[in-house]
Order: sequence, then C-alpha cells, then structure tokens
Amino acid sequence: MQTALNGIKVLELGDRIAGPYCTKILADYGADVIKVETPGLGDPIRSVGPFPDDKPELETSGLFLYLNTNKKSITLNLRSPTGVKIFKDLVKTTDAVIENFNQRLMTCLGLDYEILKDTNPHLVMSSISSFGRTGPYRDYKSTDLTVWALSGILYETGDPDREPLKIGSNETECVAGLYGVLTVLAALYYRDGTGVGQYVDVSAWEAFHTTQPYMILIYSQLGVVKKRVGLKWPWGLLPCRDGHVGFFFGTQANWESLCALLGMPELRDKPGYQSPLERDEHREEITSIIASWLKDRCVEEVFHAAQELRLPLTPAPDMSQIIDMPQHKTRGYFVDIDHPMAGKLTYPGALFKLSETPWRAGRAPLLGEHNKEIYCDRLGYSKRDLVSLREQGVI
Amino acid sequence: MSPLPLQDVRIVDVCQFLAGPYAVQLLASLGAEVIKIESIQRLDNLRLMGGYPQPDGYEWSAAFNTVNVNKYSVTLDLNHPRGKDIFKKLVKASDVVTNNFSSRVMENLSLSYEVLRGVNPQIIMLSMPGYGTTGPWRNYVAMGPNIEMLAGTPMVSGYPNGSPMLNGYIADPFASLAGAVAVMVALKHRQRTGKGQHIDLSHVEAITSFNAQPIMDFVMNGRIQSRRGNRHQSIAPQGVYRCKGEDEWVAIAVSSEEEWANLCDAMGNPSWVREPRFSDPMTRYGNHDPLDKLIEAWTCQKDKHEVMQILQRAGVAAAPVLASSELVSDPHLEQREFIQEVTHPVTGTYKQQGFPVRFSKTPVRIGMPAPTLGQHNEYVFTKLLGMTIEELRQLAEDKVIGTKPLGWPYSEEAGEQDKRLLVGDQGSGVREALEKRKGIEEEENTTK
Repeated sequence: MQTALNGIKVLELGDRIAGPYCTKILADYGADVIKVETPGLGDPIRSVGPFPDDKPELETSGLFLYLNTNKKSITLNLRSPTGVKIFKDLVKTTDAVIENFNQRLMTCLGLDYEILKDTNPHLVMSSISSFGRTGPYRDYKSTDLTVWALSGILYETGDPDREPLKIGSNETECVAGLYGVLTVLAALYYRDGTGVGQYVDVSAWEAFHTTQPYMILIYSQLGVVKKRVGLKWPWGLLPCRDGHVGFFFGTQANWESLCALLGMPELRDKPGYQSPLERDEHREEITSIIASWLKDRCVEEVFHAAQELRLPLTPAPDMSQIIDMPQHKTRGYFVDIDHPMAGKLTYPGALFKLSETPWRAGRAPLLGEHNKEIYCDRLGYSKRDLVSLREQGVI
Repeated sequence: MSPLPLQDVRIVDVCQFLAGPYAVQLLASLGAEVIKIESIQRLDNLRLMGGYPQPDGYEWSAAFNTVNVNKYSVTLDLNHPRGKDIFKKLVKASDVVTNNFSSRVMENLSLSYEVLRGVNPQIIMLSMPGYGTTGPWRNYVAMGPNIEMLAGTPMVSGYPNGSPMLNGYIADPFASLAGAVAVMVALKHRQRTGKGQHIDLSHVEAITSFNAQPIMDFVMNGRIQSRRGNRHQSIAPQGVYRCKGEDEWVAIAVSSEEEWANLCDAMGNPSWVREPRFSDPMTRYGNHDPLDKLIEAWTCQKDKHEVMQILQRAGVAAAPVLASSELVSDPHLEQREFIQEVTHPVTGTYKQQGFPVRFSKTPVRIGMPAPTLGQHNEYVFTKLLGMTIEELRQLAEDKVIGTKPLGWPYSEEAGEQDKRLLVGDQGSGVREALEKRKGIEEEENTTK
C-alpha cells in the first residue's frame, strides 16, 4: 500500500522540537524528508536527554529518536558558500522547506524565502518561530515556558495562591509543529491546484494561544478573566489501591450517577449538595467521600463500574502504566522500532489511523547517514567529490 | 477577495461540542466550505455551555461562537428518513464528512463509513471519538480533563514535590489540531490519487504523543519523571517569578552558561551570583530553590514588562505572564492583527482570536461569524441541493429542519418549571458572571 504523502519532498532545517515534530508527522505519513544537520554536531536535540542509562551520545537521545523517525539525515555546513550552493540545488527539486532557525540566522545564511523562491518559484516555505516573522518581538528569545507565559493559558493554570504553572512536556512546540503540518499541506494543496507557491509564517505564541480558543471572546463579551482554580471538584485525580483515577463531574446527571456508583443514594438530595453551586461550597467533603471510597479499590474495577453509568471517570496513568493500557494494546498504539545504536525501543505510534494509507514505523537516521544517497544518487556528486567536501568541512 | 488554500473543498460536519467542531473550523478557516449540521431536536451541546437563560440564549455561547466561525449552519433531524436522505445528498456533494461521536452513534443512524462510501466513493470521513473507533473502550465516555489524564500529562505536571496538576481545558483543542491535520493529509492523498478513506483519530493517542520525552525516559531507563513545576529538566534557572502588582508574574528561562552570565549582568551582578553554590550548572540546578528566591527578590520590585525588556535586551528569554485582558492590547499581536473584531448577527461585535499562521498568497481571516441555528438552511438546501422553498416548508412542518430548538427551556412559551440552570462549567469566574447576569435580568423583569 502506498503512503498518503508519498512523493512529497521536504527539506528540514530543524532545531529542537517544533520543526522536527512537524516534519516527523509528514515523514510518518510518507513524505520524503531530508533533515539538514550541522556537520559533527547535528540537531542540538541530539544532546538532550533522555539517553539510555543516562549516558549522553549523539545517536541515542530518546527525544531525537522520537522526533526524527522516517527521515533522512545529511550534514551540510550552511555557513560555507559551497554549502549554501548545495542547499539551493536541493531546493530546486523540493516541494517544501520547513525551518525553525531564528530569522537573523536565515537572513545571514542567505536562505530567506525571497531568495529561495528565485531558485524554485513553486516552493512552499514554512517558518515556525515563537513570535512569527513580523511584529516588534520577532527577534526575542523564547522557550516552551515563555510561550506558555505569553499565551494567556499559563495565567489560568495552577493553584490560585501560587505561581502560574505550566503542565506537560513540550506542549507549545508540539502545537506549533502540528500547525506547521496543517498549513504546509494546505499550501501544497493550493500549489498543486494552481501552481502558486508561497511563504507560511507560523507563530508558536499565537498557535498555543488558540488551544484555549474562546479566551478572548469570553473576555470581550463577558469581561471575565479566568482565574487559576487548581485541580479540585468537580475535577479530581485521586489514588486507588493500584494507581490513580481522574474525573470531571460537571453535570447534574453525573452527580446522580456518582451517588449511584458510591452506593450512597442518600447523598443525592442531601441539603447542601443539591445544585452545582452548593456542591462547590462542599467540595472538600465531597472529594473526601470519593477518596475514601476509592482508596481500597482497583483502578480497573472503578473505571468499568463508572463507565457502566456513563460517568466520565478514567484511569490517570503514569508513564509506566500508559504503555500497558488495554485500549493501546488492542489498537497497537505503541510500536517497537529498532535502531542500530539505541536498539529496539517502544515508541508512541501513529497520531491517527488512515484506512487506506499506512503509517510508517521507521527509525531516526544517524548523523549524515544519507549523505551518499542524497549527494551522489540525487545530486550527481562523485565519491571523490564527497571526500573533498568532507575535507573542506562542507559535509 | 484573495483565494484561500482549501477553497474547493466542501465538508459536511456533524461534530458536536468542542474537539470536533474546532478541528473542522481550522479547515473552514483555511477555506473549506463547511456545512455544520445540528437539529432542532438536539442542539450542539456547546451552545448550552455559557448559553444565556433567555429566548435566543443558545446563540450566546462564547465557546460555540469561537469554534464555529466560517461555517454554514443547517438543521437536519438525522433520525428522520427525510433527514437521512438529505444528509446523504450532502455527502454526495462533498469531499469530507466529519463526526466525533462514539462509534455506535453513526452505526445506529445507519450512517457509518461503509454506508457513506456507497453514497460517495471518494468521500473522506473523519471519526474522532475520545478513544478512537476500535478497542475495548471505544464506546466509553471521556471529557477533556479525562483525556489529559489518560495521556499521562498530570502525572508529570505539578509544583515540585506537589500533587498532580492539569489544565482541564486543553485536551480538546489539541485533539482538534490533530483532527485537522488528519483530514489535510487525507485530502492531499486524494488530490493525487482520487481516493477517499476513513480516518480513525483517538484523542488519547494524539495527545499521548506530546509526552514522548517522559515516555522515552521510562522506556530507556525505567524512570518515572518527577514533577518539577516550571523548571527545565537540567538547566537552571527557569521559572515563573512574582513581579510588582497583584498576581503579576514573569517567566524566565536560561538555556546556557552565556545566558546565565547575561542574566547576572542584567540584574546588576549582585554579590550572590558569584557564590560557589551557583557557580557551575550542576550546583546551580541543585540550589534551584534559594536561587529562585534571590531572582524573585529582584523581579518583584519591577513591572513584568520591564523585566522582559531588560532581559531580552541582555539576550535572555523572558516573557510576562499575560491574562486574556492583556492579550487584546498587546502591541505585538496588534501589529500582526491576530485578534479580530467579529460581528455576530445576534450577539453583536466582539473581539475573537484569529488564525495563528500567515500565508503570503492566501491570507486566512474570519470571513463569517459563527452561524445562528439553521441560518443557512435555505442557502444550502436550495442553492446546493436544488430543493424548492415548498419542500423546505414541508420539512419545517415535519420538524426535520427549523431555526428554533424544540423544548428550549427559556422560550416565551416555556413554563416556569422548565427554567433550570443550563450553564455548564466554564471555569472560575464565568459561571459567576452568568449567574449575576441571570440575577440582573430577573431583577429587570420584576421591575418591569
């Protein structure tokens, strides 16, 4: 079976997470992605953990291995004129260039869209950056945490009496990466219909903001700024005997089902527990009733009993428990991928399943692994040329 | 009007609530013509979340009115044979059909992918229930916070040594983004091959991938990562520090030794920066708590914007923690025209988020506000399907279509006993504001 994105050629000038995550998704669904890395060092994420046994090694960063599946790696020194010339030769036959370097670096390397489009007028180029390529903050420094801060979402996350708290791992970068996939494919779709290429400017700040989409309208329409509420009723995350379960009991129907689950029908109409606002006032009592009911029970038992009652209560697994979840096992979500240096490891799998076009469980490339294939087979350099390019420090 | 990337694509959308409709809205913003289907028997539940207790209250939900911009709305009772019939005609005239029901709902309606493929062999169908369309949990329920928990996020989130934390609202939009990407991948494939297909998207799976870093750490080292608050996994300092004012904060993230030196310079090189406990990266990370206190003693005398300016000038990543009220007036977002004014036919003119990506040739914007219920019945059914006004009149009489929900508790006809509180949880503050509004209205009514 052919993959969905078979035949789409992508060049990645990727750094850390957002850009590589974007091209990983493209590559997983079949695009031919060439990752352009700095000779000797490679993508900086190669030196970020986790590493097997915590031993740092360029080829075994867990984050690198995950973010670069199904790609080809070439090394190319873009600071040398020969490097830039070779890059432009690659651009001639590529459909899309995706980069998340900083803008000054791209300009300084002479690799702006305005220049590259002369090399390939049908090119789609996507820049994924924290602030976007325009606006007064465009050259500011930024990380996952500062994007959280600017998004408006950090302000609303965490305990009310403490500092705002970011959650998760690298959410802002993954969101920017996914917007990268969506919009570069939309631009390619348009190009293949009209012949017109274009430049696509993804702002991670704006992208992450949109994951709390109605924040602005709520403020504009109601004048309300949401405050931090922490994790408390009608939400909960509580321990059972063998793990945690979590819930969100937002409706009256949920409340009635909860009383049934607990085997405490008398709670339902107890004075002070009758309306959502009253229950809010008694949230600590309610939470402790649930907690004491849960503590001697098993996650599985509670989960299935709650679901029988259509209650949104589910396991709240840690990373060891996630891999064993029966739903993941049946659907084959986690996949084993072998790698010459890191060995066979279990990876999170397909972002979504397509009925007619397979997802690929290929591995990440070694640094410069595809130099010969790309430079000799695709661009026509001889092996002797490669040796001389290596000696000049170009590859 | 300039062209849009997906201007030739038509989508029939039966998604409800947040994740599904928002996925489709992203495609609508990219130019797809989206026909959103609700029914007067059953509104999109999101209309009730933050809807107002008044006759047209289902048009007021800020959440609904954000995630449904750029769409047409028609009503259609899919349980009625005529409704099913018309639905199939729409599918036949479309490229994509989207739903976020659990698998059994579309099957029970006899509108599964197998059936719809018979109607239109090239159709792309997106199904995005919480757990995906297969597996032992496929018909189970999960709300946004459950999805966040099932992805493992709260277990790696929280104040250092504290209990797990979640955001609670963020999982649905993450899934939306994955859903839009999925349709886009399938569309690109169809453009080349002419072949449609079925997309099975599990929110849990999509969001689990965001936690690849702690998952790979477990796979490689058997380690369950501890909760480290706002800190980086290995580089210090990184955190959110109090600034001058009430609930004002700045985020600072140092990523290298050079940036640490820059931070010290920017703070005026107080003597403590040279103490041995902060001298090298390892000991500095080990002394993160006292380091945070010293940095906060510096930030808390300054305005958060001032801290950003000082540190950015020195080459250190820093940004104020902004609230929604500040985003609407931020100079950077203003220059990029990210936030737009949108006029809704019922609620009026308000600010909304725009699209976070700029296209040089096909700029994306909010062209249409969220639709009112059944607003485009006539346009869609007559212009697109060639039905007559007489046919529509008959359908309205048979309650297959309409523009007013049946049994709306705040309609003029409804009895007092029907007027129960309809507002779902919209987070702290919003519910109170709505309660207050309801109070004011009741007061107004009494004075009348």
